[in-house]
Amino acid sequence: MLRYIAYRVVLGLFMLLALTVLIFIMLRLTPGDPIDAYINPTIPISEAELTTLRERLGLDRPLPVQYFAWLGAALSGDFGYSIQRGGAPVLPLVLSRVGPTVLLMLTATAIAIVVGIVAGIVSAVRKNKASDISLSILSFLGVSSPAFLTGLLGLYGFSVVLRWFPSGGMLTPGRPFSGLDLAYHLILPAALLSIAQGALIMRYMRGSLLEVLSQDYVRTARSKGVREFWVVVKHAVRNALLPVITLIGSSIGGAIGGAIFIESVFNWPGMGLLMINAVTSRDYSVIMCATLLIGASVILVNLLTDIAYAAVDPRIRNS
Amino acid sequence: MLGRRLGHIIAIASLAMVGTALVALPVAAQSEGKTIVGGFDVGPGGFPGNFNPLMATAGFTWLNTYYEPLVIYTADLSELKGELAADYTVSEDLTTFTFNLADATWHDGEPFTSADVKFTFDLAMNAESGSIFAARLSDVVSVETPDENTAVVTLSGPNGGFLSTISQLMMLPEHLLGQMPAAELAQSDWWSTKPVGTGPFKFVQYVSDQYVELEAFDDYRDGRPKVDQLINRYFADPAAAVAALRAGEIEFTYAEADDAQTFEDDENFTVIPGDSFVLNYIGFNHRTELWEDPRVRQAVMYAIDRDAIIESLYNGAATKAQCNYVAPQYVPEDLIDYSYDPEKARSLLQEAGWDEINGTAELPWLTYYASPQVANIMAAIQAMLGEVGINVVPRVVDVPTYNGIVRGDDVDQFPLVYAGAGNGPNPAQHNVNLHSSQTPPNGNNIMHIDVPELDAALETAMSEADTSQVAGRWQDVCRIVNEQLPWASMWVANRYGIASNELENFVWTPAPAGGPFEMNPEDWDITPQ
Repeated sequence: MLRYIAYRVVLGLFMLLALTVLIFIMLRLTPGDPIDAYINPTIPISEAELTTLRERLGLDRPLPVQYFAWLGAALSGDFGYSIQRGGAPVLPLVLSRVGPTVLLMLTATAIAIVVGIVAGIVSAVRKNKASDISLSILSFLGVSSPAFLTGLLGLYGFSVVLRWFPSGGMLTPGRPFSGLDLAYHLILPAALLSIAQGALIMRYMRGSLLEVLSQDYVRTARSKGVREFWVVVKHAVRNALLPVITLIGSSIGGAIGGAIFIESVFNWPGMGLLMINAVTSRDYSVIMCATLLIGASVILVNLLTDIAYAAVDPRIRNS
Repeated sequence: MLGRRLGHIIAIASLAMVGTALVALPVAAQSEGKTIVGGFDVGPGGFPGNFNPLMATAGFTWLNTYYEPLVIYTADLSELKGELAADYTVSEDLTTFTFNLADATWHDGEPFTSADVKFTFDLAMNAESGSIFAARLSDVVSVETPDENTAVVTLSGPNGGFLSTISQLMMLPEHLLGQMPAAELAQSDWWSTKPVGTGPFKFVQYVSDQYVELEAFDDYRDGRPKVDQLINRYFADPAAAVAALRAGEIEFTYAEADDAQTFEDDENFTVIPGDSFVLNYIGFNHRTELWEDPRVRQAVMYAIDRDAIIESLYNGAATKAQCNYVAPQYVPEDLIDYSYDPEKARSLLQEAGWDEINGTAELPWLTYYASPQVANIMAAIQAMLGEVGINVVPRVVDVPTYNGIVRGDDVDQFPLVYAGAGNGPNPAQHNVNLHSSQTPPNGNNIMHIDVPELDAALETAMSEADTSQVAGRWQDVCRIVNEQLPWASMWVANRYGIASNELENFVWTPAPAGGPFEMNPEDWDITPQ
């Protein structure tokens, strides 16, 4: 078992290394560098000034030299500084964005779970009735609406027209921190981010519950005189939830993609907004560090899953 | 029964969400003093996230709320006047500039002196500091400080654009930065954590990617600002800022022309139009042989109905450019009009042998303008050029990609560009775009324009010391650009800001790079309506 874990850890490290090489090459293949991003095309700056800036940033060195310089520093924990943010160190910058993204995603997932499961139950219990049909239509709309569209429509409807929620940001500028203020800014982007995930959960919950409700033990419970509410909540829902839980786990990946759009629409200061700003300004060191962090998390989760599987299934660790 | 019960749960959850909003709203709106929140770095004049004025290619509207230059443009950008210099004199040969400094103090209470002026110039001229002023100030021979309140700058030769250049040079405190090596300064977090200026507001904090907060500087020499807090909120794009403006969260933002129109009849807002000071042009890549024959370049001009585009796509809010300038004092009367004449364009192309030069082969037409308005304009021009037999295909890329391509050598990628060139207030600005000596790596002449007559005219105009002759010299430049068509000058469009009517004494103009210009933020006030 230990040998298997060691093998997987080494493999994971190689994957991370390959990831850094891949991102490094892809970034350099993209036209334009951080200095190109820095230039306002309508305002004259001489090429000599730009060359000085490039030299200062080391962008004039050969690519392998740049890569190994970055790798060497990164291995010692120095991820460099942000080119476009006045020299802010990259690692604290990236780490400071993990919290807001996790908060947004967890809230969105929580909303999606609650709304999706409840709506799925309603839909299944009232099969083919008006509420089922309308919820089904809504869920199809939700599943097929990309986050950037729901984000913009929600922003316009709830912030601009109704003025129920703020149009962006995480806290009211210039005010001391308050949890309520944070919640006020969080609800709309989280609710909008939850739509696609919630709709998917609802579809699965409905299908799964309908299947369970047709099973013999449910009929037995009913025939014993158990009230319908308890039949559904206590006997059927529990079993129907199992495939839904698997789905929730796998849909979090999609939520990360959605979060990038929602963070951009609502200027939510998370990893997504950081990444988008870094890509548009070719802020190499930030892109490298953020991608590495996301990649490392994915590899770590996969590693833990594999180890867990191996723990319960000897065939895997022996293969 | 069950469905209804669960339906109630959903309803309660929704009510809880709205309830949170209603409870949180008063908390959010709670105010301790007068605050103005704006999107001051939105749009082309903004530079969100940059705090170092020596490295700023834009964003001067905001920087000027806490830093100040020696001289500054008036709000209509028509003339320069003293800011941290109470007054100044210029020698007749345009080489010696004497500044008598205002009685100002830094935000930390230290007096502003001529030593700070010398320090700022030295730092700005040192490329190691990351300063992008170094090349533009290369003709500064000395900065002398005969006394605490006087600074004398001497240039190696006459330079009519010197004061315009230093209107963007924000003065920096020697007593705080003097000990730091120049190279360290470029990466210092001093700029975004504890900067000290002389402006009416002083820095409080920057919340990364969210906002910058300033507070009133009590000892400002022209009186304490009328509002207590000034906040610059960051937005992903102008549309998001407009949404926040409509939602009542901010009091000001730059807006795209399409958005600005929707505010025209709104009594709660004032639309502030202004000259963009950016000339839009179709740039011919002179490294290809496509545009060598002047008749081809003339045909491009005659093929485009600029009046119709200005009328229908700009709603009249643009000025047709016959040369690189539109300011009346620089535009002579005897210019070629190039009014829409597709027939003439076709015959010019035929005379030039366009069929042999390129024929109907596709020509990529590169731009960094990503707005829907420009997409429509380029589509219209594409159709017009197609009518006469020039087959262009617009290609929109982001700014770094554009700069990466046009500064590279793969000329097939950009035989034609649609771009903007800063068009004032200083007319000498175009030298780096048009003079043959300014081709990379020396300057910004990315299309490799090489017209000896134009070079000579630019040199004469820039070194003209007789102020009564200056405008005429720039007219000569205009005339040559009009005749020779090193690029196809199109128009100078308006840009817009939208301000809430709750604001009082608010001054803004869409100045190139965001100014700076005389906007007196200490007088801005807000009266909730």
